[in-house]
Amino acid sequence: MLAFTLFPVGYNVWLGFFAKHSLRATSTWVGLGNYAQMLGDPDFWRSVWLATVYAVGSTTLQILAGVAGALILHQRFAGCDFLRGVALFPYMIPTVIAVFVWRWLMNDLYGVIPYVLGTLHIPGMPEAWLTHRTIMWVLIVLSVWTFFPFVLVNVLARLQTIPPELYDAARVDGASAVRQFFHVTLPQLRNVLLIVLLLRGIWMFTKFDVPWLLGFGGGAGEAIRTLPVFTYQRSFTYYQAGMGAALSNIMLVLLLMAVTIYFVAFPPAEEENDA
Amino acid sequence: MPDRRRPVSRTAAWVLRLGLFAFCAFPLYWMVVSSLKVSHELLASPPTFWPHEWELRAYRKLFYETNFWTYFQNTVVVSALTTVIVLVAGVIGAYSLTRYAFRGRTLVARLTLLAYMFPPIIMLVPLFLLARQFGLVNSIPGLALTYISFSLPYALWILRAFFQSIPLELEHAALIDGANRAQALTYVVMPLALPGIIATAIFTFIVAWNDFLFALVLIGQDELKTLAIGINEFFHMAVVDWGLIMAAGVMVTIPALVFFIAVQRYLIAGWGAGGLKG
Repeated sequence: MLAFTLFPVGYNVWLGFFAKHSLRATSTWVGLGNYAQMLGDPDFWRSVWLATVYAVGSTTLQILAGVAGALILHQRFAGCDFLRGVALFPYMIPTVIAVFVWRWLMNDLYGVIPYVLGTLHIPGMPEAWLTHRTIMWVLIVLSVWTFFPFVLVNVLARLQTIPPELYDAARVDGASAVRQFFHVTLPQLRNVLLIVLLLRGIWMFTKFDVPWLLGFGGGAGEAIRTLPVFTYQRSFTYYQAGMGAALSNIMLVLLLMAVTIYFVAFPPAEEENDA
Repeated sequence: MPDRRRPVSRTAAWVLRLGLFAFCAFPLYWMVVSSLKVSHELLASPPTFWPHEWELRAYRKLFYETNFWTYFQNTVVVSALTTVIVLVAGVIGAYSLTRYAFRGRTLVARLTLLAYMFPPIIMLVPLFLLARQFGLVNSIPGLALTYISFSLPYALWILRAFFQSIPLELEHAALIDGANRAQALTYVVMPLALPGIIATAIFTFIVAWNDFLFALVLIGQDELKTLAIGINEFFHMAVVDWGLIMAAGVMVTIPALVFFIAVQRYLIAGWGAGGLKG
């Protein structure tokens, strides 16, 4: 069954050594030619840089928002189940819809958010947001909105398993709420945060649909042409399937590095016990 | 437990809760309101937070002047097909992963983690070329096959965790009573793993329902398009009709919302087992 997945991956590695048109049957062996060409292409380096900015920016903010959200929802209060449902919802709506709603919210002429920000009269605040200079911010905020519930759910699940005795002990010792967070909660969350960081980092770095849907047709798409978008364009705008495969292989290497980190951090012995 | 903290920190807590609520809900509120505004009010400046006039123009246009309904049906078909196949194969596969000891079992288990993290973009070129080779471009089963290829390993990863939690003794009892493996799986393991199976079904369904990338690459014919790429077409109209796009958003979101509320209990169970992706 895994061959089903492994075969395309192997095929992809193989394809990376060919110059191949996406639609025609012919292919020519070029060895490392695709990689050499890629490394000499400033557009490639730019896309790697943009994907890094996007991944680091959106992952960091997702984790901050997710942990904050989980701490808010960890307490019991009137309407807490309702708010939990609402907080998960951005993750549940289809990506296409999420992006289009944000394109409308941030629309340069009619958007409600630029309008509200405009009424605050903050000096230096841009009037239009879907421009070269600022579209990356929109991309990051939109992605945080869509994906932070993933962090929230995982952190909340972990928070609920922290033994209350730990807090009682801290309180007896006179620790303030802030100190309790840093000395009790955070160490307990360490593992789950590491997993979430890895998963979200990988998924954000390789995210195609969000930057593509936000950027196309708007003129400023070039400013958020991250590595996955660049890969897609090489494969289906310029029909360079071999180059597309080589670019995907770069992402595959990054993925393998992330998995290696995971297994170094969580030695497999723990995993075998529950098998 | 009554809240015994000072009024200041209680107020602060409510401010935070409201902030979280507004952050999550406002974009959705705005989508609904925008879909119901009359055209000139939709483009009015300043925007109205509560519309003066309401109308269903955008919804009428959506159903009578676009192929929305076709896209909707295609999406349901491809998602259902994917889910059924992944479930059948996933249950059998996960069962064998947890019940039979064979060489490299741990390795396979680790590979499923890799599959869980696996970003679909890496499969873009090979799956496209393979689909072309086998004549699966512009076909709903071809699209479903693509979704199966990357959601199956990830279904295995969730199901495996659920099957592990079912004590072997229960099955042994059934086997001693004369049941065969298939019967033990059907009558003993499956009912116990039901929450996990439902959670897997939901997540597989969502993968297919939300996908944009593979539908974009594999489907060119308008009557075969799924919602994700169909709605995307609305942007290619001469004048972008935001009311129409927001109405489409509402129509896609409502079934998701109803479904989500109906299965929320199982979702939480699946979440605990690492059953989320995207």
